[in-house]
Amino acid sequence: MNKRSFLIIALFVCLTIFISGVGMAADAPQYGGVLKWREINDPPKGDPAMATDTVSSRMILCIFDTLVENHPDGEGLLPALAESWEGNEDGTVWKFHLRKGVRFQKEHMGKPTENKGREVKAADWKYSFERLVHVNSPRAYFLDMLKGYQDFVDGKVQEWTGIKVIDDYTLQFELEYSFAPFVSVLAYNSFMVIPKEDADKWGKDFNFHPIGTGAFVLDKWEHDQKVVLKRNPDYWRKDADGNSMPYLDSVEIMVIPDNTIAYQEFKKGNIDAFPDFPDEFYVEAKEKFGKLFQERPWVGTYYYGFNNSKPPFKDNKDLRQAFNYAVNRELISELVLEGRYSAGKGVLPPGMPGYNKDLQGYSFDPIKAKTLLAAAGYPNGIEVELQVNNNPRHRAVAEAIQAQLMDLGIKLNLKILDWGVHLDMCERAETQMFRMGWVVDYMDPDNFLFVLLHSDNHGAKGNYAFYKDPEVDKLLAEARIETDWNKRMSLYRKAEQMIVEDAPWIFLFHYSTSLLAQEWVRGIYLPAMGDYYTALYNVWINR
Amino acid sequence: MLSYIIRRLLYTIPVIWGVVTVVFLLMAVVPGDPARIMMGQRGDPETLARIRSDLGLDLPIHQQYFRFLKEVAKGDLGTSYRTNQKVSHAIVERFPATFRLAFWAMIFASAIGVTAGILSAVKQYSFFDYSAMFFAIAGVSAPVFWVGLILLFIFAYNLNVIPGVGYGEGSVLYLILPVITLGVRPAALIARLTRSCMLEVLNQDYIRTARAKGLGEKTVILKHALKNAMIPVITIIGTQLSALLSGAVLTETIFAWPGIGRLAVEALVARDFPMIRGTVIFMALIFLVANIVVDISYGFIDPRVRYS
Repeated sequence: MNKRSFLIIALFVCLTIFISGVGMAADAPQYGGVLKWREINDPPKGDPAMATDTVSSRMILCIFDTLVENHPDGEGLLPALAESWEGNEDGTVWKFHLRKGVRFQKEHMGKPTENKGREVKAADWKYSFERLVHVNSPRAYFLDMLKGYQDFVDGKVQEWTGIKVIDDYTLQFELEYSFAPFVSVLAYNSFMVIPKEDADKWGKDFNFHPIGTGAFVLDKWEHDQKVVLKRNPDYWRKDADGNSMPYLDSVEIMVIPDNTIAYQEFKKGNIDAFPDFPDEFYVEAKEKFGKLFQERPWVGTYYYGFNNSKPPFKDNKDLRQAFNYAVNRELISELVLEGRYSAGKGVLPPGMPGYNKDLQGYSFDPIKAKTLLAAAGYPNGIEVELQVNNNPRHRAVAEAIQAQLMDLGIKLNLKILDWGVHLDMCERAETQMFRMGWVVDYMDPDNFLFVLLHSDNHGAKGNYAFYKDPEVDKLLAEARIETDWNKRMSLYRKAEQMIVEDAPWIFLFHYSTSLLAQEWVRGIYLPAMGDYYTALYNVWINR
Repeated sequence: MLSYIIRRLLYTIPVIWGVVTVVFLLMAVVPGDPARIMMGQRGDPETLARIRSDLGLDLPIHQQYFRFLKEVAKGDLGTSYRTNQKVSHAIVERFPATFRLAFWAMIFASAIGVTAGILSAVKQYSFFDYSAMFFAIAGVSAPVFWVGLILLFIFAYNLNVIPGVGYGEGSVLYLILPVITLGVRPAALIARLTRSCMLEVLNQDYIRTARAKGLGEKTVILKHALKNAMIPVITIIGTQLSALLSGAVLTETIFAWPGIGRLAVEALVARDFPMIRGTVIFMALIFLVANIVVDISYGFIDPRVRYS
């Protein structure tokens, strides 16, 4: 090789390294920038103890932290403010080792907080859990398996005996009975740590003055306009290279109620992230934005429940099965939902531990449906009322199913009601058939099968279908206390197969979750738990 | 005049009491438990009972009513079930945005409506008259959300001369499209009414006399005719303004405007009884005050109107 050739090759190599370096630098996280996240309404709750809706949860997950958190792909739990944890053999005592150096936010709406940015200790966790009961949190009962819950709720004791501070960095939970999903429950977004000084200062107004340990600090809350969350400079999380997080200067939660306008604002570049993308622009957006449009199965199930406590569905499995065979789920999803929901065969959705893709469910089979209808005592068809909560999507699905069932002589009369009224009537078993859906609270089959189908939970506790099967009850109760993971999953599989065979619902669809983000938004990843769980501490802007 | 105003204000007390009672009874009979909605889809009955007790929903209906009446008498509209915010605070927080929008929409509507009405009457059966009345009919018939969307698509998303939706920290640019959207319908109504009132007045003898005296056409129209034609127009401006001040739900929704209308609708969906009651009482007050102001203004325009 002569000198000239050597120089050319060396130059080429250097250039390649330089270009790839520039490319890598462009893709490396950058500090600064504002992320504008669209929401459909103002968050009604800033206090994690009180929040039950997704919009509030979006804001809360930016400001607060839990002990543990869900893996974005639903593959178990990850440490958050607890670095590690261990349980005893029967799963009745759980010890959590807290992360050191985590500090409460020292600033809030431009002013210093009462906690002055002090470190989070185990006593803060005990206070935060006890506060759930003091403020009548609608989610406190998720922890009713903890020792002393009922006495504490009834005011018979001054402290929640099941929660113990071992030392500044060790917290212990003692359960009344073995409850396998316990640690998963702690990832729920009501169970965040709160500084007592600030909660005391604001009282009920803590709802508008949320202060936690999260990646972002509340800077401004202009109701019905926007919530401005500023970077928390003391946030505990570091990236793989040891850089502090979050990268963004701020997050603005923009309240834009109208979907058409929100989509136009996105196209204009006025908003950066558009979660829960509406059906009406789905096809266009998917085509136009390609990879920027993220969508994945959401851990949730959409179903029509039968009232299993009253005729005609009570003790008439043939009739319930006939309805299941009579619905063409794939066609309805394609026609009405742009194919966004997958056909459901059972209770557990994809992504949930224990999900059984080989489950023997129901496929569209009009002949079988007709035979079963006759066997059920309705050879000439039947007329029933389906109650649906008022929402364009639910109404469209109901009308499509109504048309399909008509072909088999089933006359479905639709009753469209407001959500509150719908819930009231369902929990009092005053319907014949009703629409309902369920999206995960904690990543465990217990959250679906036990909550929605165990007979202890009839009515408001989740079993709106008033389904009862002693064998299923037994399996689900056994699974709750079983500490061996494989045995638990096999119990759930067995229970689910029995439930599907019994057909207390029409198993319709599994939800999907979506997020459209601008090309300059980097590191944004749609998690299985739903768009509002999208982590923002690791997102950066690269314009 | 003062005694008239005091008397009118006193009359508002039984009206407000009637509104308060009707609203309370409506909320009491409407199905849907607010505590249940607060809990979400799943809730345990014990917690539900505690929340209901916290909110006073477990009390007998007459006790709830008297408690509510007592609070309203003290000027306390209660606390929102949904957000825990004082209802009066929420209204005070949203009202400036609503007022700003309604005020400028009425200025816009009055300016366009009165001018178009006068010119149409003066140039009756002309091309201008036909065009103005065509647009007036279109303005009355066009749905607000449609007008809003069309304006946004043209000026914000195609021509890019307006920044977009939202309150925009109070910037005038963000006010232009919602004001036009909200003002189109009242402008059309005012234009039609001004035209018909002006035509009626222009055929009166005293107008003919004024012209015969050699007064300029401008003076005849603006000084003699317009003042007399304005009484019904002022009535409509007053009622339209009070309607706009109580919130324009569709305009506020399309333009993401943080006003009273959206507050009321969100409260309704969540069965947030205190917020619903508070916003309805507030709207009733606005209507009553606007009516009094309109009645008083008659005296300034028409000297024949006397208050006794």
